[in-house]
Amino acid sequence: MLRIALRNLFQNKVRLVIAVGGVALALMLILALDAVVGGMETKLTAYIDYSGADIFVAQSGVRNMHMAASALPLSVKSQVRAVPGVATVTPVLYLTNVVVSGENRHLAYVIGLPPNAAAGAPWRIVAGKALPGPREVIIDRGVAEQSGVRLGDTVEILGADFTVAGLSEGTANLTNSVAFIVRADFARLRGEAATASYVLVTVAPGESPDVVARRIEALVHDVTAQTRREFGAQERKVINDMSTDVITIMNMVGVLIGMAVMALTVYTATLARRAEYGVLKALGARNRQLCGVVLAQALISISIGFLLGVGSTLALAAIVPHTGLNLFLQLRSTVLLKVGAAAITITAVSAILPIMQIAGLDPAMVFRGKTK
Amino acid sequence: MLLARRNLLQDTMRLALSITGVALAVMLILLLQGFLDGMYRQIAAYLEHTPGTVVVAQEDVTNLLGATSLLPPGTAAAARSRGGTVAPILSQFVILDLHDKKQPVYPVGYDPASGGGPWRLAAGHAPQNNYQVVFDRILAQRHGMALGDTVEMMDRTFTIVGLSEETTSWMTSFIFIRKTAAEALWRIPGGTSFLLVTPPARMTPQMLRDRLTDLPGADALLKGDMIANDARLFARFFSAPLQLMIAIAFLVGTLIVGMVIYNATVERQREYGVLKAIGAHNGVLYRTVVAQALVVASVGTLVGIGVAAGIAQLIMALRPQFLIVLEGAAVAWALLAGMVMALLAALVPVRAIAGLAPAEIFRR
Repeated sequence: MLRIALRNLFQNKVRLVIAVGGVALALMLILALDAVVGGMETKLTAYIDYSGADIFVAQSGVRNMHMAASALPLSVKSQVRAVPGVATVTPVLYLTNVVVSGENRHLAYVIGLPPNAAAGAPWRIVAGKALPGPREVIIDRGVAEQSGVRLGDTVEILGADFTVAGLSEGTANLTNSVAFIVRADFARLRGEAATASYVLVTVAPGESPDVVARRIEALVHDVTAQTRREFGAQERKVINDMSTDVITIMNMVGVLIGMAVMALTVYTATLARRAEYGVLKALGARNRQLCGVVLAQALISISIGFLLGVGSTLALAAIVPHTGLNLFLQLRSTVLLKVGAAAITITAVSAILPIMQIAGLDPAMVFRGKTK
Repeated sequence: MLLARRNLLQDTMRLALSITGVALAVMLILLLQGFLDGMYRQIAAYLEHTPGTVVVAQEDVTNLLGATSLLPPGTAAAARSRGGTVAPILSQFVILDLHDKKQPVYPVGYDPASGGGPWRLAAGHAPQNNYQVVFDRILAQRHGMALGDTVEMMDRTFTIVGLSEETTSWMTSFIFIRKTAAEALWRIPGGTSFLLVTPPARMTPQMLRDRLTDLPGADALLKGDMIANDARLFARFFSAPLQLMIAIAFLVGTLIVGMVIYNATVERQREYGVLKAIGAHNGVLYRTVVAQALVVASVGTLVGIGVAAGIAQLIMALRPQFLIVLEGAAVAWALLAGMVMALLAALVPVRAIAGLAPAEIFRR
């Protein structure tokens, strides 16, 4: 029966290509959307992941960075430093603002770093200095290229001119990039000399970030201390919670489209071979066996479509970053399970019509030439 | 045309499936676009309903929702001295943790005497002290919150005293607190993010904007421009993924029509051969194939538009934070996409006919 299913499928190449292509595209709808969200989550936490900090201390109740604001009195720095297990503390200022160069405007997390920052500095420099000096800025290389800005040029941030002293990499996502200036410049322009947005902490060798974070919360008033892992998870949760409903709706549409394509394919393939099925029936083949052929056809098409869908999404993920879009696609293993389940559902539903067709087929009709 | 109709109607189940496929693809395209258009409306709601025709922001900040704006001290007084009636607000995003869900909201700190607060209350009243908040009604409903409930915002606890209408979106919702409460929340005493400025009588918004352009450390923009900038900003975030989805949906639709017409053509290959043999030109046969494709795509597109309208209503009823707007232009694009799908889908069957040798059928 498997041979019949394979022959049915591969006899007409155009039909096979259309069927498999349609299923692959429908599954790709689900895969690509999830990959976009996955990519956003990864890029969103880039600063946190590569900051070098083990713990982030924020204003009490603040558990995020993206779309959030935090203000701590600068005195928190010395209080945190005094907590056992803390190795270094780096108070940074942060807000979302704009990097302006001529007519080009790019949203950026502006980070104000203290001199010799132990954490929170750019992690990969492709040109220029690793840390900004007074009136200097380190911006993302992609942003610099899009704005036509080079080392030594001037950009405007927070309404003041800064000289581009370094170019960083891995510091941009779909929505914004990261720009690094010195804390003193940030404080002067924003009038926030006595505050810090976050205090970035590294722990002493052998100390557990979890334990030290809990210790900080116990010993320092009105702060929320989270390990890098916790802080990153909170950031990813923002994207995840915001996109859940959208993804659910798109997934349903993707599954429906997949079902329509697959049902159409298996239905037409069965229809075209109705006479042969009739002959098989007349020769003694049972309905169960013929249904097995139909299911096998659907399953083989879906499997090829699934592999093609995954392959195309991976190819897309490889191509998109080179298109100038700050879009990054990441295929997550959980989505493969979800798409696998969707594929099985599609197979089962799409086979219903042809199975009904075969079940109602009268073998005698074949010999009367009434198979259509 | 008769042949085209017969070919199509020969198998009604196949026809129904193909129309369903095209309808689903068109529905997806329309829903995606409607979703984006609805989001633009939702994010523009605050500026569209608050006083003023000119917005003053920190220098280089050209949108409400993108960058954090903080005006230099004295900007409000300077704007007043140039003839404008000023409503100062202090605002920026905050992430709330509601029932273990991250919910971005955009609290607006406003001065009740100047305006800039909620424009339509479904229940309750405006905040009367620094520990009261007007919450978005739909957001409150989604989280089972009601008047009198409390909500943690950063390190403060606010009591919900009012529920506002037209302030929601799936991404974020506008909520309202007193400006002094916002100053305390973000530790910015006397801070102002934006000025909503109304010109005096006989002064146009453009004239007022021009008068405000020399405010130090600030930029003045027409409200309409700022709304457009917000829309552009969000379009930048969403356009790439959206276009990708639309392209996939378009390809799927094309493949579905292609498959149906191809099958219908291959099954009737002999008849086409006979027609050729008795002198029918390729052009006549091409028209038959294209007509079939156009009929499937047209019916599918129309069904898709109807289904999209229905599904949009269903989604908005089940998830009121979504606004799906089916604009005339988007519907026109969907119709056009349907026709392009049909023409592309006709390519493969046309090739099958073109390569058909009339004599072949007589040899079988």
